[in-house]
Amino acid sequence: MIGVIDYGMGNLYSVSKALERMNAEYFVSSDLNELEKATAYILPGVGAFKDAMAILTETKTDKFLKDEVQKGKALLGICLGMQLLFNESEEHGWTEGLGFLNGQVKRIPGENVKVPHMGWNKLAFQRDHPLITGLQEDYVYFVHSYYAVVNDPDVVVANASYGVTVPAIVGSGNVFGCQFHPEKSGKLGLAILKNYLTFVSRM
Amino acid sequence: MMSFTIFPAIDLRGGKCVRLLQGDYNKETVYGDSPFAVAESFVKEGADWIHMVDLDGAKEGVRVNHQHVLKVAKELKVKVQVGGGIRTEKDVYEYLENGISRVILGSSAVSNRSFVEKMLAEYGGRIAIGIDAKNGYVSTEGWLNTSEVKAVDLGKELAKSGAETFIFTDIATDGMLSGPNVKAIVEMAKATGKTVIASGGVSSIDDLKKLKQYEQDGVKGAIVGKALYTKKFSLRDAIHEVNGL
Repeated sequence: MIGVIDYGMGNLYSVSKALERMNAEYFVSSDLNELEKATAYILPGVGAFKDAMAILTETKTDKFLKDEVQKGKALLGICLGMQLLFNESEEHGWTEGLGFLNGQVKRIPGENVKVPHMGWNKLAFQRDHPLITGLQEDYVYFVHSYYAVVNDPDVVVANASYGVTVPAIVGSGNVFGCQFHPEKSGKLGLAILKNYLTFVSRM
Repeated sequence: MMSFTIFPAIDLRGGKCVRLLQGDYNKETVYGDSPFAVAESFVKEGADWIHMVDLDGAKEGVRVNHQHVLKVAKELKVKVQVGGGIRTEKDVYEYLENGISRVILGSSAVSNRSFVEKMLAEYGGRIAIGIDAKNGYVSTEGWLNTSEVKAVDLGKELAKSGAETFIFTDIATDGMLSGPNVKAIVEMAKATGKTVIASGGVSSIDDLKKLKQYEQDGVKGAIVGKALYTKKFSLRDAIHEVNGL
């Protein structure tokens, strides 16, 4: 059972629709007692890193997620949700993140490309990983102005290129992240979500 | 605890804080050269939210005064909802990722329904639908046009598409200090079953109390503009009295 974390930063609808389409068992909640019943989590989000962390801290969801991940439950962050997995972000002054992954979230240098980046880019797989098992490199849909600069290149599963090298899929242990929106990325996006569900079901 | 939110309004034109009378661009009064200073004074008086409208943006169909809006959201400890000139997903996204709490989609709700429905699907509760009505019918394009769509019908349809918050402006009362059109506001709340923020005509704390009586029906806040600028009452007093503090 997937718990989709509702912390007031959207975008729950498209994630929910995608899970429904795959007949996945899921629920959406902001209540930590309810969420604790889930076996794995999806952390969505649109908006400012700082605002999101402020809400996660205020609602104690940050500590909750750290405890659940520590227990071995899986967590998939999408878009802003992925960025929150890192140590910190430079968005509007440095803000501390959840710290599951080692790296900083920085603004895409806009010298040669338009920011925000909104559009389809091709994934380049970097290594084997449960999220891309059995899949071919293809295009996925991005909406973002910031990207992760990873300290440890081993966490990168797939990259995309947008002026800079953008880590598009990251993973370390039971923590996963997609910078793009798998729920809006056609067949490949859904297949990646499906792989997440499969990974979770085997845990 | 239930509480009724008072949204002080900052309408922006040419980078200044102005009020229009009944939405008429020829009937403008400038209330401040610095929207930021005005916002700061509202925050000092206890505002949780500020309602900002890019009037140039509303008229031209692209964002014009957004830098002033973003500065408030970035530098002050207050939630900001903003409307005016938001026509693309990029516009919505850039506001949301730069600290804006809620983006108001107004006239595009009529002229570009599929866009509004897509934004509701993507950003859910962070989208508010602005419905400006004149005699029960929706007005669009910076209030320069009136459509043939009934306000309550539009509200009901968009509620089905996922809208959680409506900002209902009665143009006949806006900037007139004549009291809000309570009947129309409550009708919208009941018809949609969603949160309605009343806008237009509030001239006294009693007007706010009158609206608050319909909190159970979904009337959960009011936007106050001219009454604050002409010092009919202070924001601090209104926040305290309306919520019985």
